[in-house]
Amino acid sequence: MASVTIKDITKRYGSVQVMHGVSVDIEDGEFVVLVGPSGCGKSTLLRMLAGLEQISGGTISIGDRVVNDVLPKERDIAMVFQSYALYPHKTVYDNIAFPLKMAKRPKHEVEEKVTKAAEVLDLGKYLKRYPKELSGGQRQRVAMGRAIVRDPQVFLFDEPLSNLDAKLRVTMRLEIKELHQRLGTTIVYVTHDQIEAMTMADKIVVMRDGRVEQVGSPLDLYDHPDNVFVAGFIGSPSMNFLHGKIATHGGQKHFVSDNGLALPLPATTAAEGEVVTYGIRPEHIAIGDGGVKMNVVVIEPTGSETQVFARSGNDLMDALVKERITARPGSELGFIIDPANVHLFDRKTEKRI
Amino acid sequence: MQSNRLGWILLAPTMVILFFFGVLPFVYVLWVSFHQWNPFAVDPTMVFNGADNFRKIVFDAAFLNSVGVTVMFVFFAVVSELIIGYFLAQAFMRDFPGKSFFRTIHTLPLIMAPIIVGSVWKLMMTPSIGIIPHYLNLWFGISVNIGTSPAAAFTTIVIMDIWHWTPLVTLTLIAALVSLPADPFEQAQIDGANKRQIFWHITLPMIAPAVVATVFIRLMDALRTVDEVWMLTGGGPGSATRFVGVHIFKEVFPKTNYGYGSTISVIVLYLTIVACWLLYVTMLAPRNSRKG
Ligand SMILES: Nc1ncnc2c1ncn2[C@@H]1O[C@H](COP(=O)(O)OP(=O)(O)OP(=O)(O)O)[C@@H](O)[C@H]1O
Ligand SMILES: [Mg+2]
Repeated sequence: MASVTIKDITKRYGSVQVMHGVSVDIEDGEFVVLVGPSGCGKSTLLRMLAGLEQISGGTISIGDRVVNDVLPKERDIAMVFQSYALYPHKTVYDNIAFPLKMAKRPKHEVEEKVTKAAEVLDLGKYLKRYPKELSGGQRQRVAMGRAIVRDPQVFLFDEPLSNLDAKLRVTMRLEIKELHQRLGTTIVYVTHDQIEAMTMADKIVVMRDGRVEQVGSPLDLYDHPDNVFVAGFIGSPSMNFLHGKIATHGGQKHFVSDNGLALPLPATTAAEGEVVTYGIRPEHIAIGDGGVKMNVVVIEPTGSETQVFARSGNDLMDALVKERITARPGSELGFIIDPANVHLFDRKTEKRI
Repeated sequence: MQSNRLGWILLAPTMVILFFFGVLPFVYVLWVSFHQWNPFAVDPTMVFNGADNFRKIVFDAAFLNSVGVTVMFVFFAVVSELIIGYFLAQAFMRDFPGKSFFRTIHTLPLIMAPIIVGSVWKLMMTPSIGIIPHYLNLWFGISVNIGTSPAAAFTTIVIMDIWHWTPLVTLTLIAALVSLPADPFEQAQIDGANKRQIFWHITLPMIAPAVVATVFIRLMDALRTVDEVWMLTGGGPGSATRFVGVHIFKEVFPKTNYGYGSTISVIVLYLTIVACWLLYVTMLAPRNSRKG
């Protein structure tokens, strides 16, 4: 087990710079999730941690050791690739045993560890099979098995669940989480599924275009996003954003959108006339008699919840409510917004006010 | 049904050609091999003599010697071609200035006819006019004469074959290496394998089908090498380079002993099939059958 310190990492491919000074501190035993849109550099960062990719600038330390120039095999890390990267010509047993065999562990130890890992991952029946004879979920578990027999200092996962169906994904999510609780090993986990990020992480690192946008606990990011990007990225369905200004009406501050829609505000330091972006999460909107009148565009019932898309003039908003709503498109509904849940951002800098 | 018949119709021309140029000649050779036949002898008729030719071959010292020489030649040539070809293929997988130029000239020997290769090498090797003996003598004080030294003749032929056919091995191995997925190799690095372990545990098993196919091709070709050797040494000195191909050639053409020559051909074909089968069984079959 070890802590990982990433300091001012940059990465260049030829003349293209894809990482612009990324710094993340990962504590011993922490479960850190890297999220961000496609192409933001999550895999690249992970591959640099693994030593598969040269570091153009900055330092990476595992424990107290700077590993910039340390070969992958000497970093004592285990990695699970999105493609699982199983050895196609080896049986499940040999795949899992491979790292131990490379380390020249005694035979009985190899056997013991592989059997135990297979038991944990429910792979006992498949040990003699080849990867091509396994389902996606089983392959994924083999890749996990190969990682856990190592007993490494750090686990790296690159979107390990993205090829699985929804149900299996939930199961594996729990299993990985449980594995972490049992082993207590430091984990760096890449995903672009923000539910995975929210449910598994001790700490989430939100990245965009080779930069870190915000680091924090899942609820921290949900409650206090630093900027519009993080606010929109964390939470599903994503936050409603409206552009407008602060106005005063009857001695109270209001938000008035560019299209003239007036919405309530929390106590804020934002001055009258300030140009802002107004954010409210769909699940923080209630539907009732009061509130702002909006016209229904589409209603999407999912059984447990109902998502209502509505508009007022050119302003669009959606609400996610527990009750079942039946309303015809075009009919009017009241959107009740609790000012306490409103997020305000500076329009230009997109930073939280 | 429709598509099945269409398939046969499309295949028909190939099958006809294969039948006339592959199956018929083979059956004819097989048939001839059971006869005593020398069309240019006093009695040119074909006389059926049962398994006599085959019985004779077992005690034919010249033939047995040629098999031994051939096996040695094939072993040294093919193994060296594989090793050199692999390293060249690895080199061509990297980027370096002038790469495509080197790759092109490196394949040039492939397009030369064996007979030309033989005559060029003969020119280079002939004592007193060839540049190779000249410089070997000048720089290292070694005198080689492929006309008198069996070892020199044999070695020269092996080197000539390596020079001629390594590019084929390189090309097939490049094709195999290029098509390998990257992740198992990255995974192996993370799993703690060093370069040597990666080669034996990952690279080699993954390119094994291509390697075996290449060895098949080279094995079959090398076993029937005639023209280059004929040109360079004529099978000599003595019978040091009298490979089976050369042996059959001498049996059939100067001696016009068609029946016996056919018998040797059949036996050599049989030996080739056995060699390839052994190779397949040891290198690929266990994997395939277990994969099922
Ligand atoms: N070998 C390479 N050469 C040049 N650019 C590269 C190379 N590998 C990655 N990139 C660039 O680096 C950036 C980050 O890529 P990376 O694979 O880390 O994204 P990612 O966050 O993992 O995305 P995804 O969620 O789609 O997997 C991308 O813009 C990509 O185009
Ligand atoms: Mg990626």
